[in-house]
Amino acid sequence: MENIIEVQHLSKSFGSNEILKDINFSVNKGEVVCIIGASGSGKSTLLRCINLLEKPTGGKVLYKGRNILDDKHDVYAYRTKLGMVFQQFNLFNNHDVLGNCMIGQLKVLKRSKAEAEETAMKYLKVVGMDQYINAKPRQLSGGQKQRVAIARALSMEPDVMLFDEPTSALDPEMVGEVLAVMKELAESGLTMLVVTHEMGFASEVADRVVFMDKGIIEEEGPPEKIFLNPENERTREFLRRVLKQE
Amino acid sequence: MSWEAFANVVIKYWPMFLRGARNTLYISIVSTIIGSLIGLLIGVVRTIPIPERGFKKVLIKIVNAILTVYVEVFRGTPMIVQAMVIFYGSLMAFGIDMEPMFAGIFIVSINTGAYTAEIVRGGIISIDKGQFEAAHAIGMNHRKTMLYVVIPQVIRNILPAIGNEFVINIKDTSVLNVISVTELFFQTKTVVGINYKTFEAFTVASILYLIMTLTVTRILRFIEKRMDGPDNYVVIPGNQMQVARPEDLIKHNKGRQ
Ligand SMILES: Nc1ncnc2c1ncn2[C@@H]1O[C@H](COP(=O)(O)OP(=O)(O)OP(=O)(O)O)[C@@H](O)[C@H]1O
Ligand SMILES: [Mg+2]
Repeated sequence: MENIIEVQHLSKSFGSNEILKDINFSVNKGEVVCIIGASGSGKSTLLRCINLLEKPTGGKVLYKGRNILDDKHDVYAYRTKLGMVFQQFNLFNNHDVLGNCMIGQLKVLKRSKAEAEETAMKYLKVVGMDQYINAKPRQLSGGQKQRVAIARALSMEPDVMLFDEPTSALDPEMVGEVLAVMKELAESGLTMLVVTHEMGFASEVADRVVFMDKGIIEEEGPPEKIFLNPENERTREFLRRVLKQE
Repeated sequence: MSWEAFANVVIKYWPMFLRGARNTLYISIVSTIIGSLIGLLIGVVRTIPIPERGFKKVLIKIVNAILTVYVEVFRGTPMIVQAMVIFYGSLMAFGIDMEPMFAGIFIVSINTGAYTAEIVRGGIISIDKGQFEAAHAIGMNHRKTMLYVVIPQVIRNILPAIGNEFVINIKDTSVLNVISVTELFFQTKTVVGINYKTFEAFTVASILYLIMTLTVTRILRFIEKRMDGPDNYVVIPGNQMQVARPEDLIKHNKGRQ
């Protein structure tokens, strides 16, 4: 299996506060990997280190076998290969729905206007937002915003999509529409790395589940194993806690 | 005082008032535009992220220091004093004899620039961090992020403050009379010098100032509204790939009422 992203001995500190400690894991082509873990365990930080929104303190991040932390590596070109979906959507407020999905294609990938529009429409259709191309972000509901944000990332046609708790900021009735889109994407064979608190989604969609606690990967494996037969005491404790809540 | 005296001042001297008002408006418009551009440039330069090391770091630090001095000096001294120093100073120190009109625009522009630099910097800082991160995440560098995502939002957000600067400029160009710029205050003084009707002449001037500031405020509010776009959007039925035209939007909005 071709691995797209591989993280080796990754560490990250903010000042003297060590958030990630010796993280090792990889994401293979076509795989859906879900990261679960308690709040503050470093899940977002890990995702942000992978696309270099945060600079790792130590270790390596390999993209198709090449260390992107090398000074020579073009960070901006690398980031176009990763689609990022944020908890807070972060749609560009000065662009409408179509503009959000086109601006990166036009200015970063240098695609023609016609091609950018066609690609944007294709992915807006995938997320079911093609009827709203003229709407400004402030005119959309949370679920709609997040679906546009997914289309914006897909429009760059990245090799892997990173999701950082894409449904955590949504009202309960809108979680379903976003998860449905993500499920569809997973089934289409897209490579995905998803930080989530949605255990149902993780157990249903993930090929592999990674459990993080206090900046360490405590356990990883197929969802059946993690959810039904966890070996690690911390994993068990975490799952007992969250599953009781649900 | 009588209505007659008023009428006389207006009838006899209206060309002088008009010329003054026209120059006041001209200086304010040009200076507000130039000043805003200066402010935008400085605000953007002052928010360039400083690299950890290297030549660029030193350069940015030096430029920032110079810009800070500029902003502080022009915000910290009265424009009337700046006008005297620049106009007479440039003549005495460098032998540059500026046209009063040019000097006026120059002074008001750099003054406006100092104020708007801070407005722009505040505007950039107040843009949500998520906007920067989303732009970076799709591969935009700092320049593209500023150009296509941040600055358009900053301009929209600071427009009311710029409008305010414009109104202030209309009023404050009156200080340029000390360097004999033929703006409204100077012209009014000239009228008084001829006929000694101080009260009448300056009342006319205040009415003209008021007309200018009120009109400008209204126009700017209209522009702000226009920049926000329509309140409703059109849901495009089916899979048509079409961007709605303004006419469609109007029809759509009418249909809703
Ligand atoms: N920029 C920063 N500066 C200092 N500390 C930070 C910074 N970003 C994150 N942290 C700290 O790192 C720790 C891990 O944060 P992170 O956001 O990665 O957790 P998380 O697992 O994503 O949590 P959640 O489920 O609440 O999103 C937290 O204790 C947080 O306070
Ligand atoms: Mg998080």
